[in-house]
Amino acid sequence: MKLGMREKRIASSAILTIITIAACLIILIPLMIVVLGSFKDSAQAQKFALALPAEWHIDNYSHVLVKGKIGQAFRNSMFITVSVTAIVVIAGSLSAFVTSRKQTRYTQFVYYLFLIGMVAPIQIVTTYALLQFLKLSGTFIGVILVETALQMPWTIFTMSGFIKNVPRELDEAAFIDGATPVRTFFSVIFPLLKPIVATVIVTTAMGAWNEFMVPLYFFNSSSKWTMPLTVYNFFGQYSSDWNYVFADLVLTALPITILYLLCQKYVVAGATAGAVKG
Amino acid sequence: MKTKKFYPNYFTFPAVVLFIVFYCVPIIAGFFMSFTDWHIKRLLAPKFVGFKNFARLFGDEHFILALKNTVLFAVLTTIGIVIFGLLLALLLNSAVKGKAFFRTVFYLPAVLSLIVIGIMFKAVFKMDGGVLNNILMALGLQNLVNDWLGNPKTAMMCIVFVQIWKWSGFAMAIYLAGLQGISTDYYEAAMLDGATALQKFRNITLPLLMPAFTVVITMNTIGGFKVFEQVYVMTNGGPGFSTQVLSTYIYSEFSKGSLGRSSAMSLLLFLMISIIAVVLNTALRKREVEM
Repeated sequence: MKLGMREKRIASSAILTIITIAACLIILIPLMIVVLGSFKDSAQAQKFALALPAEWHIDNYSHVLVKGKIGQAFRNSMFITVSVTAIVVIAGSLSAFVTSRKQTRYTQFVYYLFLIGMVAPIQIVTTYALLQFLKLSGTFIGVILVETALQMPWTIFTMSGFIKNVPRELDEAAFIDGATPVRTFFSVIFPLLKPIVATVIVTTAMGAWNEFMVPLYFFNSSSKWTMPLTVYNFFGQYSSDWNYVFADLVLTALPITILYLLCQKYVVAGATAGAVKG
Repeated sequence: MKTKKFYPNYFTFPAVVLFIVFYCVPIIAGFFMSFTDWHIKRLLAPKFVGFKNFARLFGDEHFILALKNTVLFAVLTTIGIVIFGLLLALLLNSAVKGKAFFRTVFYLPAVLSLIVIGIMFKAVFKMDGGVLNNILMALGLQNLVNDWLGNPKTAMMCIVFVQIWKWSGFAMAIYLAGLQGISTDYYEAAMLDGATALQKFRNITLPLLMPAFTVVITMNTIGGFKVFEQVYVMTNGGPGFSTQVLSTYIYSEFSKGSLGRSSAMSLLLFLMISIIAVVLNTALRKREVEM
């Protein structure tokens, strides 16, 4: 039998749909096993099946909240994430504003400086010694400043790319009206940066929330641990109770997943903003 | 307009000072400390030892293995992400229904913590009752059942898979942005010339997508060299040293207190990544065509 154009098109679109659904399942099945498993009892969770819980154990979550010290870790993660994001957005946009508005030897130097940061890995051992030297070892401030430095280059490149498209006439008009640079920036320019600020906020917040290496090296006291460190440690202690481990994983991933679902537009813009610049 | 007065340099100082102190100073210090016998017990009294750290590293079979593993990991994951990312982007660029939903799902792994993903995949690759072994049993493939992370032959492949699983959706987003930038005029002209779908893909889509390839390849190669969390969580370098990579070896030397050796390894990693980034970027940029 010879297939007509229409049949061919239907067949090929069916094949494409099947491949797309298969790819989707490869991503969703492990995640569903975690979510379902977090409501099962220990014996059923260990089977790692897609079956619904025989009995819904919501108490797994209260157990993990107490035993996993999630409350404290949540507050620590929140504090670090908000601080890093605030510093990165303000310091980053101020710097990007000046470097994208004028071409001098100094701004060239700043450009190359941050370009190194786009590529080079953090030198964690000497950073550790530096924090010791500055008496910031094991403190929130130390970790916040290191993570801020880590996130700064990407922010500056992304922001510069955006500010270049904000008409220069706007700041010049403000200057002619006698506004100071600080006033011009905060009341004229910064409000126009909303879309890119949103992108930087969600991208930085996700990076800071998920950061593992920096707190792992720099916090020895468990009272300062962040969510990823706590969940790692919890897994080490309870690796046979997968129901609790899964509940802990869900609690760690939930804030970021919600942020992603609510601000998806800005999250994906962040991925491509850095990419366009290259 | 006097730019000097209206765009003051001091606006850049908070970002620049923070970055120099907490990022550049450690890089420079690391360079010097690589040539010392620096130890956690003598934090303030490192002694110059010349190239001893480097000589010892290149005579250390575990370091050579970590180096090989890191390169292997970076190459395999980049190839996987380049291909699967493109596949996902092309699927979403075709006539498939429910694009918004699929895009949301495909990108989701990119925002999840590597610690969460790593622990989740320990359940997938577990010997007894693990998800993968369950599936193999259900398919009647009992002889393929394996202790995936406990077997030195397969542990590395599992970690490679996890990296591809996590980052393909991110690559997809970059490809999609590139695909949307290609004017439909090219395809219409090709259709008038009677080009086949494959010809259109090879002669229009691929060349015009080169900037996206540059970004995806460079980013993932650099990311591959920096790999740490997934290895630390899933195998911690084991079984034996079969999945040891540079970052986990740096951490284990750091934990032992050998800060000089650890710095020397960090310096080598830094140099490798910098050279690869420059080489890749120049080589790939040459292949990009003007739109």
